[in-house]
Amino acid sequence: MELFKPIVEATVAGDEERCVALAQEVIDKGVDPLQAIEQGYTKGMAIVGDKFSRMEYYLPELIRCADAMKAAMDVLKPHLGKGQDGGVQGTVVIGTIQGDLHDLGKNIVKTMLQAAAFTVHDLGCDVQVRSFIDKAEEQDVDVIAASAILTTTMAYMPDLVNLLSDMNLRDRFKVMVGGAPVTPEYADEAGADGYGENAAEAVETAKRLVQSRRGGA
Amino acid sequence: MAGVNMAHNPNLTYLSRAQAEKIHAASLEILERVGALIDDEESAALLRKASVAVGDGDTFHISPKLVEWALSVAPKRIVLHNRNAEPVIPLEPGRIYFGLGSDCLFILDHRTGKRRQATLQDVNEAIRLADALPNIDFLMSAVLPSDVPTEAANRLQMRSMIENSTKPIMFVTNDFDSCLDVVQAAEFVAGGAKLHEQKPYCCCYINVTAPLRHNVDSLQKLLFLAAKGLPTTYTPMVLRGVSGPVTSAGAVALANAGELVGLVLAQLKREGAPIIHSGGYGDVFDMRTTTGAYTGPESYGVRTAMGAYYGLPIFGLGGSSDSKLPDEQAAAEASLTLLFETLGGANLIHDVGYMESGKCYSLEMLAICDELISYIRRYCQGIEVNDETLALDLIAELGPEGDYLPTEHTVNHYKETWYPRLFNRNHYDGWLAEDGLTLHRRTQRRVEEILQSHTPEPLEGKIKQEIEAILG
Ligand code: B12
Repeated sequence: MELFKPIVEATVAGDEERCVALAQEVIDKGVDPLQAIEQGYTKGMAIVGDKFSRMEYYLPELIRCADAMKAAMDVLKPHLGKGQDGGVQGTVVIGTIQGDLHDLGKNIVKTMLQAAAFTVHDLGCDVQVRSFIDKAEEQDVDVIAASAILTTTMAYMPDLVNLLSDMNLRDRFKVMVGGAPVTPEYADEAGADGYGENAAEAVETAKRLVQSRRGGA
Repeated sequence: MAGVNMAHNPNLTYLSRAQAEKIHAASLEILERVGALIDDEESAALLRKASVAVGDGDTFHISPKLVEWALSVAPKRIVLHNRNAEPVIPLEPGRIYFGLGSDCLFILDHRTGKRRQATLQDVNEAIRLADALPNIDFLMSAVLPSDVPTEAANRLQMRSMIENSTKPIMFVTNDFDSCLDVVQAAEFVAGGAKLHEQKPYCCCYINVTAPLRHNVDSLQKLLFLAAKGLPTTYTPMVLRGVSGPVTSAGAVALANAGELVGLVLAQLKREGAPIIHSGGYGDVFDMRTTTGAYTGPESYGVRTAMGAYYGLPIFGLGGSSDSKLPDEQAAAEASLTLLFETLGGANLIHDVGYMESGKCYSLEMLAICDELISYIRRYCQGIEVNDETLALDLIAELGPEGDYLPTEHTVNHYKETWYPRLFNRNHYDGWLAEDGLTLHRRTQRRVEEILQSHTPEPLEGKIKQEIEAILG
């Protein structure tokens, strides 16, 4: 489709105006909006993600591209068929675990998840283990994401997993952990399903977890 | 004599007077217009009593007048003492002192070269090494031990610092309760609270949630220490472009505003409470890797210039690296940051030996920095210009092709030249014969030698027992 290439280009350029205009064109010309998303905008964002991981793009550029795509989505979504969510990747509840006030890293993970089309519920910092679970149930999320930046507060991560088990909810949600002291080994020991060293990895992990949850469930 | 004395050397003037005034005015405006959230009851009550206006959403809008008052009553000079109550660290203009950082998550094991979780034994070794290194003036815990119960960690760090060295201590505690015990221990060493107030052996490093959001533990610590007349920092941190403006001036103005809140509260609690001021930490956020960087050039200069503008004792940060190993990058970053901070006039420079932006500690890095500091100290000594040092008569006497080596003048003065202990100046084959090692590898050996051979001055048995009783 001749429209897809310019859509990819506009997304990679982070050109919001053009992304929106092209979305309008998709509708006007009767092109399948889902295809436009998958072969245009999402493909563009994949290139953006790639440029970011090669350190060609900086975080603000990545966010700008994501915003441009989101604006186009707003135009396309009303035209999507029933049951098509237009590329929403999944839902995440995120927070910095109890006793810990470091929320900067968590905020960046949140921003990147949103940029990657996740719906994110942010509980802030110093979040009780129980509150993660309550919110997860309430919003029926795919992933519970917990951040800890202190060695001491990292110790609550196993508690989160154990409490989920005690409440017979372990299979219902995927648990992803991260933050400065957390290592892949620790994430394993804590019983988490996934880990990310940085925000970009967090996004990759979240995507994987959503897939396995939806595929496996 | 320890520390760097810059008496002979011009300081680096990074900001013009007008620029510093503008940043100060911006901090004042932030406090008045935006206001700060205060999560502690006693602190809020102190502010209300001082007629601070409370806005919608419980923000405290502190007036410039109150801040100026606090600045005028805060002491300009603080003296820290060692375990033997000697006044070894006078914080005053031109006097620069260096110390470790605290609480790293990981350590680079100098014996295996591997990065691993830190233990209490690592704290002990770091402090013992710091005790032996002549250019390290004060102690911080280096790492947070992961092999002890969480609640005990900060107390055991303190115990280690008291037992393994006589140098003055800057402590960090996560919670308020540990802070009480830590101070009690220091007071016991000093011979009681009264004596300790006169001759403080320890000071505290407080981190606040955000410049305009002040958490309860930090505020409780601040007021407790202020009441006791004990020195502390009170430092929020701005990550540029994330929790504050990405631009230097705005980031520093905002962070500095947060510090001024602490200054005001401390003075309201007790007029004349000693505060070590940093001038506003605005760390660089690396927009490519999504890490907080410690050694970006933007983080240096402005902060110390603001500290100097206030004339309060200045807190600094140097001898750190964003590198993963004590490699070339680490040596370069450590050198530059130590030099910037020294020339900026920071009185108490901490985080010496930090790797990986404060996540990992390296003993080799500490030892390399010890060498760098001694180099910088020599540089800052300046030179004497007089008949003896100009040596005009000697030059005339020896003529155009003079051989200076056998002269008495050379014999009398050659020892004034700085000599390295870790850096290698040998010929190529000589270097090979000596060890043929890189600085990092050579320093690994040196660190182990010191740890094997250095015995710190022992702590008197009775005091040791009491310290154990207090700190566990
Ligand atoms: C900024 C900072 C603060 C700020 C926090 C401001 C805020 N609102 O967040 C302030 C000044 C308040 C602060 C306070 C303290 N801090 Co602090 N702080 C830091 C510092 C310098 C940077 C942290 C940061 O924001 N980095 C930038 C972000 C972007 O990186 P990040 O947090 O690592 O997040 C990334 C990844 O980890 C990952 N990630 C993060 N979360 C998640 C979650 C998931 C699910 C996934 C997949 C990934 C992921 O993605 C992020 C983006 O790439 C670190 C040192 C460091 N380099 O980590 C010390 C550090 C974390 N702090 C430390 C300490 C000791 C404290 C205090 C106890 C000090 C005190 N007593 O005053 C208090 C504790 C307060 C509390 N109860 O939480 C220690 C931790 C020690 C330890 N062993 O646990 C550190 C390591 C510094 C040190 N060596 O002393 N601190």
